[in-house]
Amino acid sequence: MATDFWTSTHYKQLLDQEEVDVVHSLDKERGITLEDFKLIKLHMTNYIARLAQNVKVRQRVVATAVTYMRRAYTRRSMTEYDPRLVAPTCLYLASKAEESTVQARLLVFYIKKLHSDEKYRYEIKEILEMEMKILEALNYYLVVFHPYRGLSQGLINDSYRMDLILIYPPHLIALACIYVVCMLKDKDNTAWFEQLRVDMNSVRIQS
Amino acid sequence: MTEVDHLLAKKVADRYLKREVLGEGTYGVVYKAIDTKTGQTVAIKKIRLGKQKEGVNFTALREIKLLKELKDPNIIELIDAFPHKGNLHLVFEFMETDLEAVIRDRNIVLSPTDIKSYLQMTLKGLAFCHKKWVLHRDMKPNNLLIGPRGQLKLADFGLARIFGSPDRRAPELLFGAKQYGPGVDVWAAACIFAELLLRRPFLQGSSDIDQLGKIFAAFGTPKPSQWPDMIYLPDYVEYQFVPGQPLRTLFPMASDDALDLLSKMFAYDPKARISAQQALEHRYFSSGPPPTEPALLPRPPPKKESVDSKPSDFNPLEGPTVLSPTRKSRRVMPHPEGYEGNSRQPEKIDDHGNERSGPAPMSLDFSVFAARPPARPTINSADRTHLKRKLDLEFQIPEED
Repeated sequence: MATDFWTSTHYKQLLDQEEVDVVHSLDKERGITLEDFKLIKLHMTNYIARLAQNVKVRQRVVATAVTYMRRAYTRRSMTEYDPRLVAPTCLYLASKAEESTVQARLLVFYIKKLHSDEKYRYEIKEILEMEMKILEALNYYLVVFHPYRGLSQGLINDSYRMDLILIYPPHLIALACIYVVCMLKDKDNTAWFEQLRVDMNSVRIQS
Repeated sequence: MTEVDHLLAKKVADRYLKREVLGEGTYGVVYKAIDTKTGQTVAIKKIRLGKQKEGVNFTALREIKLLKELKDPNIIELIDAFPHKGNLHLVFEFMETDLEAVIRDRNIVLSPTDIKSYLQMTLKGLAFCHKKWVLHRDMKPNNLLIGPRGQLKLADFGLARIFGSPDRRAPELLFGAKQYGPGVDVWAAACIFAELLLRRPFLQGSSDIDQLGKIFAAFGTPKPSQWPDMIYLPDYVEYQFVPGQPLRTLFPMASDDALDLLSKMFAYDPKARISAQQALEHRYFSSGPPPTEPALLPRPPPKKESVDSKPSDFNPLEGPTVLSPTRKSRRVMPHPEGYEGNSRQPEKIDDHGNERSGPAPMSLDFSVFAARPPARPTINSADRTHLKRKLDLEFQIPEED
C-alpha cells in the first residue's frame, strides 16, 4: 500500500543537510561531536541490518527502520534515547508498519546472541516503552518512500549509511546511485541525465 | 471551560477533558472528550496494548500510518495521538452517527437526492483514497460516519486486512484473487448504494460460496465474455448457470441514471468496473435534481448523552427497528461445518427470493449454512481462518440484548 510521494508527509518533511547535522545540546554537553553523531548513526544502521538478517525481514523494512532511527535523532538526543535501544525498537516498529511483524521476543533473543555487552541488553518491556516514544518522536508519520524498485541494491543500501533519505526525494537518491555507477564504470552519461532534466547539483552533492 | 468542568473531568495529556464512554471500538474503548485547545468535541480511542507483549496494536498502527497521509473532507480526521499511562490514544473528530444508523432508522425517509448526496460523499472519500493508492477494503455503512453538519466521512482504516467486510466482498475476492485493486472498494460502494435504495442489506451471504450464489442469483452467472480472467482465479469454482434479473426488477424505485451507474459499479470484471472518480463524473450526479446539501440530510435524532450511546465502530441501532442481528455478530457466530447438503444451486435462488421479499429473518442464515456443499476443502478452510481472524479480532464484542 502506498500513497503518492509528492503529497506525502515524507515529502513535506524533507530537511536540509544543515538541519540534519545538528547535534542535540544534551549530547554536545557530553562531548559528542558531529563526526561522532554521524558515526553512531552509521554504527546503528549496521546494527539494524545485522539484527534484520537474523530475524529475516525484507530489505524494505531495514530501510524504513533506518529512516525512523535517523528521523528520530533529528528531534531527540542520544543521551535520553540510547541508540542501543532505539535501533532494535525502530526495526520492531518498521516491521509492523511495513506489514511483516517481527515478534519482540525474537528480537530480544538475537540482541542477546549478537551482543554479550550488558549495555546492549534490553528487554521486551523496554523495547515496547521505547516504541511509544519513537512514535511520538516521529510525530506518528510512518510512511517512507524508498529509492529501490528494480535498482541494484548494493549502492542504495549504502545510501542509508548517511542521512540522504531525510534530505532528498527517493528518485534523486536512485539517480545519484546510477550516476555513481556510471562514474565508476567510466560510462558517459551526460546526455542521458540531461534528458531527465533533474537538478544535477543535488545529484552530484549526494555522490 | 468552567472551573467545575475542570474539577469534574480529568484532563488527559494536558489537553483533553474526558467525558462519557461512547463504546467499545475494534481495539479499545472510545470516549468523548473536549479538546481544550480548540473547544472542539472529539472522540478518543484508547488503544489497548496488544495481547501481551506485542506493543502498539498492529491494526491501530496501520490506521495511524494511513490517516496521517489522508487529509480530505470526506475522510475522518486523525487530530492527534498521544501516549497516556502506557496506552496510545488516538484523537478523532467527533462524529454524531453513521450511515448504518441512517439506513436502519425506519422513521427516516431517504429521498432520491438524499441518496445521491450520501453516495457522492462516499465516492469522493473513496476517490481520494484511490488517488493516493490506498484501498479501504472494509467499506460498509457503519464505517461511513456522519458529522454534525451532515458530512459523511470514511473511517476505520485499520480493519482493512486480507478479508474485507464479507457481505460486500467483490466477486474477485470471493474467488480468492491475490492481487486486486480499487475495484473491490467500488463493488462495496455499489452494495452501499443498493442498501441506500433498498433500506436493507443487499446480497447478504453467510459464506464465500453463499455470497457468490447471492451475487449470481441477482446478476446472473458471469459469462466468460463478461469476465475473461475469472476462470484463472485461485478459488474459481464453476457455478451452475443462473440467469440474472433485470436491475429494474431489483430496484423498482431507482431512476434510470441511478441504475446505469449501479450496473457499472457492479460490473463483474474488475477491469471493466467503473472507478470511483469516473463514478463521480457519471451523469447520475450531473443530471436531474442535484444532491441534497449535507446539512439538510435526514439523520437519526441525536442520542441522549448516556454511557451506552452509540460508539463509532460498533453495534448498529438498538431498539425495535432492528430486523436482523447485526452483521458483525452474525459473522462470529460459530456454525456446524459441512452439513450433508442438498444441491445448493436451486436453494440459493430460493434463499435469495425469500430475502428480497422481506427483511431477512435470522434463521435464513442457518439454512444457508446447512446448504453448504459437503466437500470443498479450500473454501471450508478459508472460511475457518476467516472466522478465526474475526474471532481474534472481535472477541470483545458486547453481547447483543
